[in-house]
Amino acid sequence: MKGLAVAALVLATAPLYADYTPFYLGLLTEVLVFGLFALAYDVLLGHTGVLSLGHSAFVGVAAYTTGILLARYRAPVELSVLAGAVGGLVTALILGVFVLRKRGVYLAMLTLALSQVFYYVVLMWTPVTGGTDGLGNLPILYLSQPLGLRLSKRPITRYYVIAAVIFLAMLAIRHLLRSPLGRVMRAVKANETRAAACGYDTRRVRLVAFAISGLFSGLAGALLTLVLEFVPIENIHWQMSGTVLIMTLFGGTGTLLGPFVGAGVFIWMRDFLSKHLEYWEVFVGSAFVLIVLFFPEGIVGTLARLAARRRAVPESDAEARPVEPEQLVAPGGGGNGAGATLLESRGLTKSFGGLTAVNRVDFQVRTGELRSVIGPNGAGKTTFFNLLTGVLPPSGGRILFKGADITGLPAHAVSRLGIARSYQVTNIFGDLSVFENVRIAAQSRVTHYRFWGNADHLAAVNARAEEILRHLGLWAKRHLRGAELSHGEQRYLEIGIALATDPDFLLLDEPTAGMSPDETQRTATFVRRLAGHVTIVVVEHDMDVVMGISDRITVLNYGEVLAEGTPAEIRENADVRRVYLKD
Amino acid sequence: MNGCILILVALGLSIVFGLMGIINFAHGIFYMLGAYAGWLTVHLTGSFWLALLVAPLAVGVVGAGVERGVLKRIYGTANANFAGVLVTYGLAILIPDLVRMTFGRPGKPFAVPKALTGSLFQLGATEVHGYRVFILLVTALLLPALWLLLNKTNLGLVIRAGTSDNLMVQLLGINVARTWTITYALGAALAAFAGVITAPLVAVAPEMGGLVLIECFIVTVVGGMGSFVGAVAGGLLIGETLALTGMLYDVFADVVIYLMMAFVLLVRPRGLFGQEGMSEE
Repeated sequence: MKGLAVAALVLATAPLYADYTPFYLGLLTEVLVFGLFALAYDVLLGHTGVLSLGHSAFVGVAAYTTGILLARYRAPVELSVLAGAVGGLVTALILGVFVLRKRGVYLAMLTLALSQVFYYVVLMWTPVTGGTDGLGNLPILYLSQPLGLRLSKRPITRYYVIAAVIFLAMLAIRHLLRSPLGRVMRAVKANETRAAACGYDTRRVRLVAFAISGLFSGLAGALLTLVLEFVPIENIHWQMSGTVLIMTLFGGTGTLLGPFVGAGVFIWMRDFLSKHLEYWEVFVGSAFVLIVLFFPEGIVGTLARLAARRRAVPESDAEARPVEPEQLVAPGGGGNGAGATLLESRGLTKSFGGLTAVNRVDFQVRTGELRSVIGPNGAGKTTFFNLLTGVLPPSGGRILFKGADITGLPAHAVSRLGIARSYQVTNIFGDLSVFENVRIAAQSRVTHYRFWGNADHLAAVNARAEEILRHLGLWAKRHLRGAELSHGEQRYLEIGIALATDPDFLLLDEPTAGMSPDETQRTATFVRRLAGHVTIVVVEHDMDVVMGISDRITVLNYGEVLAEGTPAEIRENADVRRVYLKD
Repeated sequence: MNGCILILVALGLSIVFGLMGIINFAHGIFYMLGAYAGWLTVHLTGSFWLALLVAPLAVGVVGAGVERGVLKRIYGTANANFAGVLVTYGLAILIPDLVRMTFGRPGKPFAVPKALTGSLFQLGATEVHGYRVFILLVTALLLPALWLLLNKTNLGLVIRAGTSDNLMVQLLGINVARTWTITYALGAALAAFAGVITAPLVAVAPEMGGLVLIECFIVTVVGGMGSFVGAVAGGLLIGETLALTGMLYDVFADVVIYLMMAFVLLVRPRGLFGQEGMSEE
């Protein structure tokens, strides 16, 4: 709140320092508009982890929509600005549908290439857009509508009207980033695979982020038309995407203030440097490369880190130690091995090229059972898990859960049905706090896309996260980043994330991997006690653990079921002894 | 002939992406620098044939310098692939202005070498110029040589192995750092070579890198990123489409290739010859 008050104060008094001269006021307004554009851009880059180089299309389509409505149809200013913002939104959705099948740098390349389509349309459609000459003669100053009138009077009024709009937009984005949806976006940025395993449809989340970014970029583009009273074709050229990228990285991604600071620095460079240096882009380009290499957090991010260095890390000697699993799972899942079939695979097969990793596996688990899956390295255990949880589509066969066919469902849909998993290689949200790791998983049972309200005020979700962290002995470390935990603690957090989604069926992939003998023993006890409440399948290499905790054991070898039975039966099985002892 | 040039530039882009996972936005710069290096050589010595040799070598060295001096700093950092895009993008802004500073804003004229001027023969209604046949022949010779380099030599083996599992190759005790430098320089040299042979057809200008880069993106999307055959097929398809639609109706040429890209993205996201799973979900 304090930051907002300061921002409001700065916006309100800025004209004082600019001496009310129209030139500086115009510049100031431009900085604000580009700041909004950069902030909208950062919704994708800094808050969802998507690098786009196609934002010239969003801002350009919006600028032209507003311009054309004003110039050709003499539409009211309010309506034209609104239409511009919607234009940005629609463009983002169109682009999103094409590029979101891909990710990472490949996606960045696609956005750049596709954004050029809009440039060519503007170029070709000269009668309407003015082609290379841009779109001029905007009658903003002659409009009699309320906003038009206010805009027309003096540069100072225009500044305040536009500053007010931008302040409101900033408030909206700030609110959005703190909402449950904003948190999901951050989780997708931190670890997309894990977010999907928590039940979030990550592709759709990224599309929503694209749309939000497009909407506010569109608003910036519409306002830019008002500020310039002209639509230059550069607005829709791909270099515009580069400009906004540079502004955002200069200021610092992931902050509210950074994009505005970056816009200010860039426009300062453009206007003042270019007076003295003909080739000012050399300077901007060099500064950009240096920032990426040495100050990836940007100006605001770097300053914030320096300021935060004094803040002490919360000390705690409480060791992570799972306790009282009875209270961790919703009642009603249990009954020792007596229930009906919960999960079943029939003829499940997965081939990678010539290699068949999982070969016609028939597998049944009853409600309340604790089943271990063992087998030599490369037997297909993890692939089998990936098939059950929708990470990989099977090449053949079917998977039934609670009697319904779930074959081929994507990971997030499988998670929503009540199947959770932990990973062999620790897979947590390393950049999020320990608390947020579990909270975001628990939130998936309540809301995915709610863009209003503060995510921290979801009482039931907070309570659930606290409960799980306390029982895992991680409560004292809830403020640390996930990546800062020790290996053993990360393994517990991993299980905590899985439990937070309230599963009926839990798959644990080598929960004791890399643990000390002491930790292994505790984890084994924990898993055994958990089994009274939730159906568990565990992949494990430690034979003492397997024999100690399992109701039944399935042995995989070369992707096929070699044997299945109680621990005693498996111990006596000749085939199993041959595979394990090679005799 | 458009297609030949695109193939050569797109190949470098594709090989670098396959090995290093970086979309090299500075790739168009090497094409432009190649054209300038060629112009300078012709300007100083008067020999086009020398330019064909000097430009790829000089720009290859520049490429190696960029890899060693800039890209090397970001390997292994968090989000290294993003950072790779960002710094090369920064270079793509920076270097054209440096070239403008050195050579001036207007483009440089570049004459077709004397031995190749004039038309060779008539093909129907169109005259076939010697220089265009030359481009075709050079590409036809260069491509098999490159294919042999990538598929039959030790270096090629390391590059292809590194593409599928970089860590494993490192564990085998192979100097991966050097392979990356060589690969990046090779891509740069290829682009530079394409730049020199295009120069007589277009004006040599600082802006020429940007346009060819975007066309190469389209080529690699259509053909399949990281695939040799893909780059060749995509280059031919896009290049000839550009030429044909350009002849029929000029303004449509640019739009048609984007439509082709959009179609491929929807129907076959990995591209015509792309490997399954490459940069897909």
